[in-house]
Amino acid sequence: MRIKRNILFIAIPALLVFAVIGFLLQSGNAVETPGAPPPPVAVDSTKCIAQTEYMRSNHMKVLNEWRHSSVREGNRVYTAHNGSRFQKSLNTCLGCHSNKLFCFNCHMYANVKPKCWNCHLSPMETP
Amino acid sequence: MSSVAHGDTVMNKERRDFIRKAGLGVLAGICATSGFLPAFSLEETILPAWDEKPVPGKIRWGMVIDTRKCLGECNECVARCHHVHNVPDFGNRKDEVKWIWKSGYGNVFPTSTSQFRSSEVLQRSYLALCNHCAEAPCTRACPTEATFKRWDGIVSMDYHRCIGCRFCMAACPYGSRSFNWRDPREGIKEASVDYPTREQGVVEKCNFCSDRLTKGMLPACVESCPEKALVFGDLNDPNSDVRALLESNSTMQRKPELGTKPSVFYII
Repeated sequence: MRIKRNILFIAIPALLVFAVIGFLLQSGNAVETPGAPPPPVAVDSTKCIAQTEYMRSNHMKVLNEWRHSSVREGNRVYTAHNGSRFQKSLNTCLGCHSNKLFCFNCHMYANVKPKCWNCHLSPMETP
Repeated sequence: MSSVAHGDTVMNKERRDFIRKAGLGVLAGICATSGFLPAFSLEETILPAWDEKPVPGKIRWGMVIDTRKCLGECNECVARCHHVHNVPDFGNRKDEVKWIWKSGYGNVFPTSTSQFRSSEVLQRSYLALCNHCAEAPCTRACPTEATFKRWDGIVSMDYHRCIGCRFCMAACPYGSRSFNWRDPREGIKEASVDYPTREQGVVEKCNFCSDRLTKGMLPACVESCPEKALVFGDLNDPNSDVRALLESNSTMQRKPELGTKPSVFYII
Protein backbone atom coordinates (compact mmCIF):
# COMPACT_ATOMS: atom_id res chain seq x y z
CA MET A 1 0.00 0.00 0.00
CA ARG A 2 2.75 2.38 1.02
CA ILE A 3 4.78 1.43 -2.05
CA LYS A 4 1.85 2.05 -4.36
CA ARG A 5 1.24 5.50 -2.90
CA ASN A 6 4.92 6.34 -3.45
CA ILE A 7 4.58 5.34 -7.07
CA LEU A 8 1.56 7.59 -7.45
CA PHE A 9 3.49 10.49 -5.89
CA ILE A 10 6.17 10.08 -8.56
CA ALA A 11 3.93 9.08 -11.46
CA ILE A 12 1.40 11.92 -11.30
CA PRO A 13 3.94 14.80 -11.48
CA ALA A 14 5.85 12.89 -14.14
CA LEU A 15 2.72 12.53 -16.26
CA LEU A 16 1.94 16.22 -15.74
CA VAL A 17 5.45 17.16 -16.87
CA PHE A 18 5.11 14.96 -19.95
CA ALA A 19 1.74 16.48 -20.77
CA VAL A 20 3.11 20.02 -20.45
CA ILE A 21 6.15 19.18 -22.62
CA GLY A 22 3.91 17.49 -25.15
CA PHE A 23 1.60 20.47 -25.27
CA LEU A 24 4.48 22.88 -25.70
CA LEU A 25 5.96 20.81 -28.50
CA GLN A 26 2.65 20.61 -30.25
CA SER A 27 1.99 24.33 -30.01
CA GLY A 28 5.47 24.91 -31.43
CA ASN A 29 4.71 22.68 -34.39
CA ALA A 30 1.26 24.10 -34.96
CA VAL A 31 2.51 26.05 -38.02
CA GLU A 32 3.13 22.82 -39.90
CA THR A 33 -0.32 21.69 -40.86
CA PRO A 34 -0.80 18.01 -41.49
CA GLY A 35 -0.51 17.22 -45.17
CA ALA A 36 2.10 19.91 -45.86
CA PRO A 37 5.05 18.68 -47.90
CA PRO A 38 8.23 18.16 -45.90
CA PRO A 39 10.45 21.23 -46.02
CA PRO A 40 13.12 20.75 -48.66
CA VAL A 41 16.54 19.93 -47.28
CA ALA A 42 19.52 21.73 -48.80
CA VAL A 43 22.15 19.35 -50.09
CA ASP A 44 25.21 21.35 -49.13
CA SER A 45 24.96 24.70 -47.38
CA THR A 46 28.20 25.98 -48.96
CA LYS A 47 26.36 25.95 -52.30
CA CYS A 48 23.36 27.93 -51.08
CA ILE A 49 22.74 31.32 -52.61
CA ALA A 50 20.94 32.49 -49.44
CA GLN A 51 19.47 31.26 -46.16
CA THR A 52 16.77 28.62 -46.52
CA GLU A 53 14.22 30.67 -44.56
CA TYR A 54 14.84 33.67 -46.81
CA MET A 55 14.59 31.60 -49.97
CA ARG A 56 11.41 29.89 -48.82
CA SER A 57 9.53 33.20 -48.75
CA ASN A 58 11.50 35.22 -51.31
CA HIS A 59 12.60 32.86 -54.09
CA MET A 60 10.22 34.49 -56.55
CA LYS A 61 11.73 37.91 -55.85
CA VAL A 62 15.23 36.49 -56.28
CA LEU A 63 14.25 34.95 -59.63
CA ASN A 64 12.67 38.21 -60.76
CA GLU A 65 15.74 40.20 -59.75
CA TRP A 66 18.07 37.68 -61.44
CA ARG A 67 16.08 37.84 -64.65
CA HIS A 68 16.07 41.61 -64.71
CA SER A 69 19.76 42.10 -64.02
CA SER A 70 20.98 39.29 -66.29
CA VAL A 71 18.66 39.86 -69.26
CA ARG A 72 18.58 43.65 -69.20
CA GLU A 73 21.90 44.69 -67.69
CA GLY A 74 24.07 41.71 -68.62
CA ASN A 75 25.06 41.15 -65.03
CA ARG A 76 25.02 37.36 -65.07
CA VAL A 77 27.04 36.52 -61.99
CA TYR A 78 25.54 36.45 -58.52
CA THR A 79 27.87 36.55 -55.52
CA ALA A 80 26.41 34.85 -52.46
CA HIS A 81 26.83 35.93 -48.85
CA ASN A 82 29.75 33.52 -48.41
CA GLY A 83 31.54 34.70 -51.54
CA SER A 84 30.69 31.80 -53.85
CA ARG A 85 29.62 32.80 -57.33
CA PHE A 86 26.70 31.53 -59.37
CA GLN A 87 25.36 32.05 -62.84
CA LYS A 88 21.99 33.77 -62.66
CA SER A 89 20.00 31.03 -64.30
CA LEU A 90 16.99 28.93 -63.46
CA ASN A 91 19.24 25.97 -64.18
CA THR A 92 21.55 27.02 -61.35
CA CYS A 93 18.62 26.49 -58.98
CA LEU A 94 17.47 23.25 -60.58
CA GLY A 95 21.01 21.88 -60.82
CA CYS A 96 21.31 21.87 -57.04
CA HIS A 97 17.68 21.19 -56.14
CA SER A 98 17.70 18.19 -58.41
CA ASN A 99 14.69 16.52 -56.79
CA LYS A 100 12.22 16.63 -59.65
CA LEU A 101 9.33 17.47 -57.34
CA PHE A 102 11.19 20.26 -55.55
CA CYS A 103 9.05 23.05 -57.03
CA PHE A 104 5.84 21.11 -57.47
CA ASN A 105 5.40 19.83 -53.90
CA CYS A 106 5.03 23.25 -52.36
CA HIS A 107 3.28 24.92 -55.28
CA MET A 108 0.64 22.20 -55.39
CA TYR A 109 0.11 22.39 -51.64
CA ALA A 110 -0.14 26.22 -51.70
CA ASN A 111 -2.24 26.11 -54.90
CA VAL A 112 0.19 28.47 -56.62
CA LYS A 113 0.40 28.20 -60.40
CA PRO A 114 3.50 29.99 -61.64
CA LYS A 115 3.87 30.12 -65.42
CA CYS A 116 7.57 29.20 -65.51
CA TRP A 117 7.03 25.91 -67.31
CA ASN A 118 4.96 27.37 -70.13
CA CYS A 119 8.32 28.18 -71.70
CA HIS A 120 11.13 26.77 -69.55
CA LEU A 121 11.52 23.03 -69.51
CA SER A 122 10.22 21.77 -66.21
CA PRO A 123 12.29 19.25 -64.24
CA MET A 124 9.58 16.69 -65.00
CA GLU A 125 10.23 17.04 -68.74
CA THR A 126 14.00 16.61 -68.60
CA PRO A 127 15.70 13.24 -68.81
CA MET B 1 68.72 7.97 -29.89
CA SER B 2 69.85 10.68 -32.20
CA SER B 3 68.91 8.59 -35.24
CA VAL B 4 65.43 8.07 -33.82
CA ALA B 5 65.14 11.79 -33.18
CA HIS B 6 66.33 12.40 -36.72
CA GLY B 7 63.75 9.94 -38.04
CA ASP B 8 61.12 11.72 -36.00
CA THR B 9 61.94 15.08 -37.53
CA VAL B 10 61.85 13.52 -41.00
CA MET B 11 58.48 11.99 -40.21
CA ASN B 12 57.24 15.28 -38.82
CA LYS B 13 58.33 17.15 -41.89
CA GLU B 14 56.76 14.60 -44.22
CA ARG B 15 53.60 14.64 -42.17
CA ARG B 16 53.53 18.41 -42.13
CA ASP B 17 53.98 18.48 -45.91
CA PHE B 18 51.26 15.90 -46.35
CA ILE B 19 48.84 17.81 -44.15
CA ARG B 20 49.66 21.04 -45.93
CA LYS B 21 49.07 19.48 -49.36
CA ALA B 22 45.90 17.74 -48.21
CA GLY B 23 44.65 21.05 -46.85
CA LEU B 24 45.40 22.75 -50.14
CA GLY B 25 43.61 19.98 -51.97
CA VAL B 26 40.54 20.35 -49.79
CA LEU B 27 40.62 24.13 -50.27
CA ALA B 28 40.87 23.71 -54.01
CA GLY B 29 37.98 21.26 -53.90
CA ILE B 30 35.82 23.69 -51.97
CA CYS B 31 36.70 26.50 -54.38
CA ALA B 32 35.89 24.32 -57.36
CA THR B 33 32.55 23.18 -56.00
CA SER B 34 31.41 26.47 -54.49
CA GLY B 35 31.11 28.30 -57.78
CA PHE B 36 30.48 25.48 -60.15
CA LEU B 37 27.70 22.99 -60.22
CA PRO B 38 27.48 19.25 -60.47
CA ALA B 39 26.77 17.53 -63.76
CA PHE B 40 23.20 18.20 -64.76
CA SER B 41 20.97 17.18 -67.59
CA LEU B 42 19.88 20.71 -68.50
CA GLU B 43 22.02 23.39 -70.10
CA GLU B 44 25.55 23.71 -68.78
CA THR B 45 25.96 26.49 -66.27
CA ILE B 46 29.41 27.89 -66.86
CA LEU B 47 30.23 31.23 -65.34
CA PRO B 48 30.65 33.83 -68.07
CA ALA B 49 34.05 35.35 -68.69
CA TRP B 50 33.08 38.73 -67.34
CA ASP B 51 32.45 39.55 -63.70
CA GLU B 52 30.25 42.57 -63.48
CA LYS B 53 28.02 44.72 -65.63
CA PRO B 54 29.24 45.17 -69.21
CA VAL B 55 29.87 48.70 -70.49
CA PRO B 56 26.96 49.79 -72.71
CA GLY B 57 27.90 50.62 -76.27
CA LYS B 58 31.39 49.14 -76.09
CA ILE B 59 30.49 46.16 -78.26
CA ARG B 60 28.14 46.15 -81.24
CA TRP B 61 27.61 42.65 -82.55
CA GLY B 62 27.14 42.43 -86.27
CA MET B 63 27.18 40.00 -89.15
CA VAL B 64 28.44 39.96 -92.71
CA ILE B 65 26.75 37.51 -95.09
CA ASP B 66 28.77 36.65 -98.17
CA THR B 67 25.93 35.84 -100.56
CA ARG B 68 28.44 34.73 -103.22
CA LYS B 69 29.13 31.67 -101.07
CA CYS B 70 25.52 31.13 -99.99
CA LEU B 71 24.20 29.33 -103.05
CA GLY B 72 22.01 26.40 -103.88
CA GLU B 73 19.37 24.75 -101.79
CA CYS B 74 21.41 24.57 -98.57
CA ASN B 75 19.24 25.29 -95.52
CA GLU B 76 21.69 24.18 -92.86
CA CYS B 77 21.73 27.46 -90.90
CA VAL B 78 17.93 27.72 -90.86
CA ALA B 79 17.54 24.16 -89.65
CA ARG B 80 20.23 24.50 -86.98
CA CYS B 81 18.94 27.82 -85.68
CA HIS B 82 15.38 26.63 -85.50
CA HIS B 83 16.38 23.42 -83.78
CA VAL B 84 18.66 25.09 -81.21
CA HIS B 85 16.04 27.66 -80.28
CA ASN B 86 12.98 25.41 -80.35
CA VAL B 87 11.32 27.36 -83.15
CA PRO B 88 8.08 25.55 -84.02
CA ASP B 89 7.14 24.40 -87.50
CA PHE B 90 3.41 23.96 -88.11
CA GLY B 91 3.76 23.40 -91.84
CA ASN B 92 1.56 26.31 -92.90
CA ARG B 93 2.22 29.96 -93.67
CA LYS B 94 -0.45 31.36 -91.38
CA ASP B 95 1.10 30.01 -88.18
CA GLU B 96 4.68 30.29 -89.43
CA VAL B 97 7.36 31.26 -86.89
CA LYS B 98 10.79 32.08 -88.24
CA TRP B 99 14.06 33.45 -86.92
CA ILE B 100 16.14 33.10 -90.08
CA TRP B 101 14.91 32.27 -93.56
CA LYS B 102 15.79 32.46 -97.23
CA SER B 103 14.03 34.76 -99.64
CA GLY B 104 14.37 36.22 -103.12
CA TYR B 105 16.36 39.35 -104.02
CA GLY B 106 13.21 41.41 -104.55
CA ASN B 107 11.88 40.49 -101.10
CA VAL B 108 15.10 41.02 -99.18
CA PHE B 109 16.16 44.21 -100.97
CA PRO B 110 12.88 45.68 -102.26
CA THR B 111 14.17 49.25 -102.22
CA SER B 112 17.61 48.57 -103.68
CA THR B 113 18.61 51.41 -105.97
CA SER B 114 21.01 49.43 -108.13
CA GLN B 115 19.36 48.83 -111.48
CA PHE B 116 20.05 46.11 -114.00
CA ARG B 117 21.54 43.57 -111.61
CA SER B 118 22.81 40.45 -113.31
CA SER B 119 20.24 37.68 -113.61
CA GLU B 120 22.47 35.44 -111.50
CA VAL B 121 22.26 37.90 -108.59
CA LEU B 122 18.51 38.28 -109.00
CA GLN B 123 17.94 34.53 -108.99
CA ARG B 124 19.94 33.78 -105.85
CA SER B 125 18.12 33.41 -102.56
CA TYR B 126 19.26 35.57 -99.67
CA LEU B 127 19.32 34.94 -95.96
CA ALA B 128 17.10 37.21 -93.90
CA LEU B 129 17.13 37.56 -90.13
CA CYS B 130 16.66 40.24 -87.52
CA ASN B 131 19.04 43.09 -88.41
CA HIS B 132 19.61 44.13 -84.79
CA CYS B 133 19.31 47.72 -85.91
CA ALA B 134 21.23 50.42 -84.10
CA GLU B 135 18.06 52.52 -84.32
CA ALA B 136 15.53 49.74 -83.90
CA PRO B 137 11.96 50.86 -84.58
CA CYS B 138 10.49 47.83 -82.81
CA THR B 139 11.94 48.85 -79.44
CA ARG B 140 10.21 52.20 -79.75
CA ALA B 141 6.88 50.64 -80.59
CA CYS B 142 6.85 48.16 -77.70
CA PRO B 143 4.60 49.49 -74.93
CA THR B 144 5.97 47.21 -72.21
CA GLU B 145 9.68 47.41 -73.04
CA ALA B 146 9.58 43.69 -73.67
CA THR B 147 11.86 44.25 -76.65
CA PHE B 148 14.83 46.46 -76.01
CA LYS B 149 18.30 47.40 -77.21
CA ARG B 150 20.96 45.57 -75.23
CA TRP B 151 24.30 46.95 -74.11
CA ASP B 152 26.01 45.01 -76.92
CA GLY B 153 23.77 46.12 -79.78
CA ILE B 154 21.51 43.08 -79.76
CA VAL B 155 17.80 43.79 -79.98
CA SER B 156 16.56 41.41 -77.34
CA MET B 157 13.17 40.05 -76.35
CA ASP B 158 12.04 39.55 -72.78
CA TYR B 159 9.24 37.06 -73.36
CA HIS B 160 8.10 37.42 -69.76
CA ARG B 161 6.99 40.97 -70.49
CA CYS B 162 5.50 40.49 -73.95
CA ILE B 163 1.74 41.02 -73.94
CA GLY B 164 1.30 40.01 -77.58
CA CYS B 165 0.11 43.38 -78.89
CA ARG B 166 2.25 42.95 -82.07
CA PHE B 167 3.10 46.66 -82.36
CA CYS B 168 6.72 45.57 -82.88
CA MET B 169 5.69 43.41 -85.82
CA ALA B 170 4.01 46.41 -87.41
CA ALA B 171 7.06 48.56 -86.68
CA CYS B 172 9.69 46.15 -88.03
CA PRO B 173 10.37 46.96 -91.70
CA TYR B 174 12.01 43.58 -92.30
CA GLY B 175 9.31 41.16 -91.18
CA SER B 176 11.75 39.65 -88.72
CA ARG B 177 9.18 39.01 -86.04
CA SER B 178 6.69 36.19 -85.73
CA PHE B 179 3.67 35.81 -83.52
CA ASN B 180 2.82 32.58 -81.73
CA TRP B 181 -0.78 32.04 -82.76
CA ARG B 182 -0.64 28.52 -81.36
CA ASP B 183 1.17 26.83 -78.50
CA PRO B 184 4.65 26.45 -80.01
CA ARG B 185 5.27 23.19 -78.18
CA GLU B 186 2.85 21.47 -80.54
CA GLY B 187 5.07 22.36 -83.47
CA ILE B 188 8.44 21.24 -82.09
CA LYS B 189 9.51 17.84 -83.30
CA GLU B 190 12.86 17.48 -81.56
CA ALA B 191 13.08 19.74 -78.53
CA SER B 192 16.43 21.18 -77.59
CA VAL B 193 17.04 21.26 -73.84
CA ASP B 194 19.52 24.14 -74.08
CA TYR B 195 16.92 26.83 -74.67
CA PRO B 196 13.35 27.43 -73.49
CA THR B 197 10.36 27.51 -75.80
CA ARG B 198 7.94 30.41 -76.05
CA GLU B 199 4.26 30.30 -75.22
CA GLN B 200 1.11 31.11 -77.12
CA GLY B 201 0.52 34.86 -77.48
CA VAL B 202 4.07 36.21 -77.55
CA VAL B 203 6.16 37.59 -80.39
CA GLU B 204 9.54 36.04 -81.07
CA LYS B 205 12.56 36.65 -83.28
CA CYS B 206 16.27 36.02 -83.72
CA ASN B 207 18.28 36.85 -80.59
CA PHE B 208 21.69 36.85 -82.36
CA CYS B 209 22.36 33.78 -80.21
CA SER B 210 22.82 35.87 -77.06
CA ASP B 211 22.32 32.57 -75.19
CA ARG B 212 25.35 31.07 -76.94
CA LEU B 213 27.47 34.24 -76.70
CA THR B 214 27.37 34.02 -72.90
CA LYS B 215 28.97 30.59 -73.22
CA GLY B 216 31.64 31.90 -75.59
CA MET B 217 30.10 30.21 -78.65
CA LEU B 218 29.40 31.66 -82.08
CA PRO B 219 25.81 31.96 -83.31
CA ALA B 220 24.32 28.66 -84.47
CA CYS B 221 23.87 29.82 -88.08
CA VAL B 222 27.49 30.98 -88.33
CA GLU B 223 28.76 27.75 -86.84
CA SER B 224 26.62 25.52 -89.05
CA CYS B 225 27.38 27.16 -92.43
CA PRO B 226 29.37 24.68 -94.52
CA GLU B 227 30.61 27.44 -96.85
CA LYS B 228 31.58 29.83 -94.02
CA ALA B 229 29.45 32.47 -95.70
CA LEU B 230 28.38 34.01 -92.41
CA VAL B 231 30.85 35.99 -90.34
CA PHE B 232 30.00 37.30 -86.89
CA GLY B 233 31.89 39.86 -84.86
CA ASP B 234 32.13 43.20 -83.13
CA LEU B 235 31.44 46.11 -85.48
CA ASN B 236 32.99 48.53 -82.99
CA ASP B 237 36.32 46.69 -83.05
CA PRO B 238 38.38 47.89 -86.06
CA ASN B 239 40.40 44.66 -85.99
CA SER B 240 37.45 42.26 -86.07
CA ASP B 241 36.71 39.86 -88.94
CA VAL B 242 33.50 41.66 -89.83
CA ARG B 243 35.28 44.99 -90.09
CA ALA B 244 37.96 43.42 -92.27
CA LEU B 245 35.26 42.13 -94.64
CA LEU B 246 33.51 45.51 -94.65
CA GLU B 247 36.86 47.12 -95.42
CA SER B 248 37.65 44.89 -98.38
CA ASN B 249 34.19 44.45 -99.93
CA SER B 250 31.36 46.62 -101.03
CA THR B 251 28.34 45.70 -98.94
CA MET B 252 24.61 46.33 -98.75
CA GLN B 253 22.18 46.69 -95.87
CA ARG B 254 18.46 46.06 -96.07
CA LYS B 255 16.38 49.22 -96.57
CA PRO B 256 19.18 51.58 -95.50
CA GLU B 257 17.07 54.62 -96.42
CA LEU B 258 14.89 54.06 -93.33
CA GLY B 259 17.76 55.03 -91.04
CA THR B 260 17.47 51.95 -88.87
CA LYS B 261 21.22 51.27 -89.24
CA PRO B 262 21.09 47.46 -89.57
CA SER B 263 23.96 45.42 -88.12
CA VAL B 264 23.66 42.75 -90.82
CA PHE B 265 25.59 43.44 -94.03
CA TYR B 266 25.42 41.62 -97.36
CA ILE B 267 28.23 41.11 -99.83
CA ILE B 268 26.48 40.72 -103.20
